[in-house]
Amino acid sequence: MKFSQIIFGALLTLLVYSCIGDDIIFDTVAENVRITSRVDSLAVGDDFQFEAIFVNNIGIEEPMTIAWSSSDEAILAIDQNGLASGISKGDVMVTATVDLATKTITDTWPLAVADNTVISDPESRTGQLRTTSSYLLEGDFELKPDGNNLTLVLSDDYRASSNLPGLYVYLTNNPNSVNGAYEIGMVTEFSGTHSYTIPGDEVGLNQYSHLLYFCKPFGVKVGDGEFDN
Amino acid sequence: MLRFIFSLLVFSLCSSHLLAGGGWPQPKENGYFKLYQWWVVADQHFTDVGLIDPNTTNGIFNTSLYAEYGFTDRFTGVVNFPFFSRAYFNNTISGTTGDLLVPGEAINSIGDTDIGFKYGLTQNKPLALSATLTLGLPLGNNEGGTQGNLQTGDGEFNQMLQIDAGRGFQLGKLPAYANAYVGFNNRSQGYSDELRWGLEAGVNLFNKKLWAIGRIIAIESLLNGDRSVGENSTSIFANNTEFISFTPELAWNFNEKWGVAASVGTAFSGRIIFANPSYSVGVFFNLR
Repeated sequence: MKFSQIIFGALLTLLVYSCIGDDIIFDTVAENVRITSRVDSLAVGDDFQFEAIFVNNIGIEEPMTIAWSSSDEAILAIDQNGLASGISKGDVMVTATVDLATKTITDTWPLAVADNTVISDPESRTGQLRTTSSYLLEGDFELKPDGNNLTLVLSDDYRASSNLPGLYVYLTNNPNSVNGAYEIGMVTEFSGTHSYTIPGDEVGLNQYSHLLYFCKPFGVKVGDGEFDN
Repeated sequence: MLRFIFSLLVFSLCSSHLLAGGGWPQPKENGYFKLYQWWVVADQHFTDVGLIDPNTTNGIFNTSLYAEYGFTDRFTGVVNFPFFSRAYFNNTISGTTGDLLVPGEAINSIGDTDIGFKYGLTQNKPLALSATLTLGLPLGNNEGGTQGNLQTGDGEFNQMLQIDAGRGFQLGKLPAYANAYVGFNNRSQGYSDELRWGLEAGVNLFNKKLWAIGRIIAIESLLNGDRSVGENSTSIFANNTEFISFTPELAWNFNEKWGVAASVGTAFSGRIIFANPSYSVGVFFNLR
């Protein structure tokens, strides 16, 4: 074989080697249905519109037929659109059900039918960050309504590595992927308390299950935190 | 731990000198020229605490011309010109659905180029001393791709002053040499400055046909840059990168003028830099 043929072969090999390939990521999560509008008590004769979302096995919100039911129709009636009516006083459980091909998944919400209607208005959702890499990431966080918007507050004990290029924070239903996640923004604070404002018309308080820290340039997850409530 | 110990590292693009450089300037009107390919494909990197984390597979391929030419017996000009540089990252595919989540991208351009001026501090002495000023020209692309995270350069103009000390000797009956250098790299655009040092030794085998060379290279960041610099940079162009690498190399001389060389870059440790092997193959020509 001539020297020139060896050089040509080597260059051809490098050319193929330098083509874009595929990286497969493990991004399976359990499907879930989540009741997002909640009421603590409903007055007899009042109505309340329940709402729920379905999140598929890669953490993407997906339209799906959701069946609604009441544990006691004599206390609370609910139609298949999630519109509930208080019938008589007592404790009851509302269930949202999604039938999949291989299983059925549900979410439940307890409430009382009583004298007054009290809409569940959680002051906040909280969680704790953890690192899933060898980069530093820790601290408590809180997501709370702020007028028409939401505010994500990182607490005093928050610390993150400042040496990682391109660190971004997301809200997601899949802690293994930024696919379908809501990008809050680039991380510019690496210790102590600080906050992000999130448009309330883009994100609901109960829409996502996790906070995710992700390094864009390296394309790698740095850490996450699951909402406790 | 084994993974850490044996993990391999990319070393700097300008460290591909073969049988050239060190404390010895080129004699007047002599030169050394090399056409070479250097590349790395990395799916893991050293983190800021020196451990290894995975990353989206990135690749960078440089086709470069390296040249040294002696303008006088003391003064040598040096150029390292990556005239074709390709950087890419892979597609990200969902393992659940098989869907394409993040499409891979690639850029092609010329790369960051080094121009150096070497001055021989000694002549015809057992210990060869030289000083080199290297200017790093940001000719590459530092914000390629839709996210700006593909690079064929770091976008900053740097100046490095390096002192080399080299000595030739006999290892038994075999010709051999050793060289050491220390340098300071002043970086601009908010990048941290660097201290660099290296040790190199080579022995000539098979009746002067083969040079077997071992090289240790270290870069230590002074961590005095701006935090916001390089937010989209991946290794090898990230800010505050550090490493200590070992690079074995073989160079075969077909005759007095022509030869081929190949090396692989390995690592003892690193921070904020890819942790996979780098490779280099090239053809060189000695102008005598």
